[in-house]
Amino acid sequence: MSESTPVSTANNSTTATPDPVVPDKPPNYKVISDDDLYRHSSQYRFWSFTKDNLKQKRLETNSRATQKIEEDMKKFIGSQTLTNDELNITSTKAIPLTMEEELKLVNFYTQKVKVISQHLNLPTEVTATAIVFFKKFFIENSVMEFDPKELVHTTIFLACKSENYFISVDSFARKAKSSREAILKYEFTLLESLKFSLLLHHPYKPLHGFFLDIQNVLHDKVDLNHMGRIYDACRKRITESLLTDIIYHFTPPQITLAILLIEDEQLITKYLEIKFTGDENSHNIQLDKLLAIINSCKEMILSPDVVPTQDAKVIAAKNYYVQHPMVLINKYRKKREGQESTAEPPEKRLKTD
Amino acid sequence: MSSGSQFKQLEKLGNGTYATVYKGLNKTTGEFVALKEVKLDSEEGTPSTAIREISLMKELKHENIVRLYDVIHTENKLTLVFEYMDKDLKKYMDSRTVGNAPVGLELHLVKYFQWQLLEGLAFCHENKILHRDLKPQNLLINKKGQLKIGDFGLARAFGIPVNTFSSEVVTLWYRAPDVLMGSRTYSTSIDIWSCGCILAEMITGKPLFPGTNEEEQLKLIFETMGTPNEQSWPGISSLPKYNPGFPQHLPKNLKSILQAHCASDLDDTLIALLHGLLQLNPDMRLSAKQALHHPWFAEYYQQQQQ
Repeated sequence: MSESTPVSTANNSTTATPDPVVPDKPPNYKVISDDDLYRHSSQYRFWSFTKDNLKQKRLETNSRATQKIEEDMKKFIGSQTLTNDELNITSTKAIPLTMEEELKLVNFYTQKVKVISQHLNLPTEVTATAIVFFKKFFIENSVMEFDPKELVHTTIFLACKSENYFISVDSFARKAKSSREAILKYEFTLLESLKFSLLLHHPYKPLHGFFLDIQNVLHDKVDLNHMGRIYDACRKRITESLLTDIIYHFTPPQITLAILLIEDEQLITKYLEIKFTGDENSHNIQLDKLLAIINSCKEMILSPDVVPTQDAKVIAAKNYYVQHPMVLINKYRKKREGQESTAEPPEKRLKTD
Repeated sequence: MSSGSQFKQLEKLGNGTYATVYKGLNKTTGEFVALKEVKLDSEEGTPSTAIREISLMKELKHENIVRLYDVIHTENKLTLVFEYMDKDLKKYMDSRTVGNAPVGLELHLVKYFQWQLLEGLAFCHENKILHRDLKPQNLLINKKGQLKIGDFGLARAFGIPVNTFSSEVVTLWYRAPDVLMGSRTYSTSIDIWSCGCILAEMITGKPLFPGTNEEEQLKLIFETMGTPNEQSWPGISSLPKYNPGFPQHLPKNLKSILQAHCASDLDDTLIALLHGLLQLNPDMRLSAKQALHHPWFAEYYQQQQQ
């Protein structure tokens, strides 16, 4: 936001106090750009990664959880008398999730966070914050350590608090059909995993800014109704885009431009050309570089990881069995007993008769 | 993340907006810290006020803003570990009172403190954060003469436009006239008014407008600064608590009012800066950044340049 400069009006006798003298800028005036400010934000300092970094972090989280799971499994096998078949089924069905499987499960539940937030009629910013919090939690933690299902409501409730959207835990629990205990159980763990960096910069504000600037730069060349439609479409698309990994790789204005580009490529290209070439360009921004960044962001937005429910179920089941191998064994034993009893029903009946 | 046992709790330092603050000793480093203890209300989980303060403090790394080092969670409380400061500005000024007579600070010290206050505040405002409760008790001082803004319990991040804030903020004495008249669209100018009141208080050692209720607070302000009207402040008559029957006062001479309680000579640039901060109309008040460029601070920005 630009500083509001007090405009000196004519100083007449009715002015209660003298107009302030707005001092000239001293010679060493420090210009702090929005980029400088953004680099100062915790969003940038703690949560911006290259693709390789991010993958590495996820692999580390996965391998930490896997190690723990494997130790537990060893203990389990050591404490039970299992047949060869049972051992076999344990080693084929109760295996830790891969990083890719984890990510699929997280993406599936992130979608749920979005749908539930919207279903609860929460403001767009709260929904956006909940989505981002949830995704970040599962960079730091594995779904083999925390059941993602248990964090959905916790995350949405914390997002409400963080975005100053007041709702009591009880009325939230009622609306979300959950309980106070379940919602608050992992609240602090969530705060900790987020490194207490809660203030988020979503692309909605840059969208508003660009929207005004486009009208300014292309004043008589844009149709206001058309712009209005674009604006609404972009807001929806922003929320959707937060489900992808763009939040770790791009700044909010870059994301906004990518989304504007998806909505109306011709208009935005024209705007960027006027803005960043020729005399108007006072920003030291090279258009081709900017376009390359925006286009790679656009690519990520256009290839979201939509996880079908069936796939999520399979991964969730696997995750459950690896943490509860006895359930798997019991299921197997029951099935075997069932098979035996159906395979030899006459004999059995005879015997019992 | 450090464990609770890493800190030894020492004497109580005071009460914040939603918590109790203790002096603490970091047993590993031997450094003092300020421990702000927030009782965890099992009803609502972590209180929103704590969430808000943590969230803002994580963004504000500046030498004139108290640093939040860590957050510790124990069974029924949350402890925010802050940088330790020796005194707050209120206690610092009180400690210099001779008998019953308040004494202002030396002008070079006033200037140094005010400069640091504005530096810290400019940083908050650049980061779109309003403090909303600036007062001498929330300005912390250490032995090196550094001043840091603390207690962001009432602070808020703001976007554009800002119009849904409660008007029940800022301790009465430092509350801006627009807020007193029920404005809910306030912005950074709310903190600037407080800075003006604090500057005057540092000069004389006594609060500029020590009202006991909102009505008296406005009366005290108008008596000194003059009663505003639609001409001096367009839009004032649409404020919820504006009263066309406010007693009419002409502005008094701020310089002579302050000079009566100050041993050294007050120069006109200082008075000009005060007027810039204490504009009744919020749109006319200087921004923190503009105030830092004020000629009264010339020696600072010229020095910085070298």
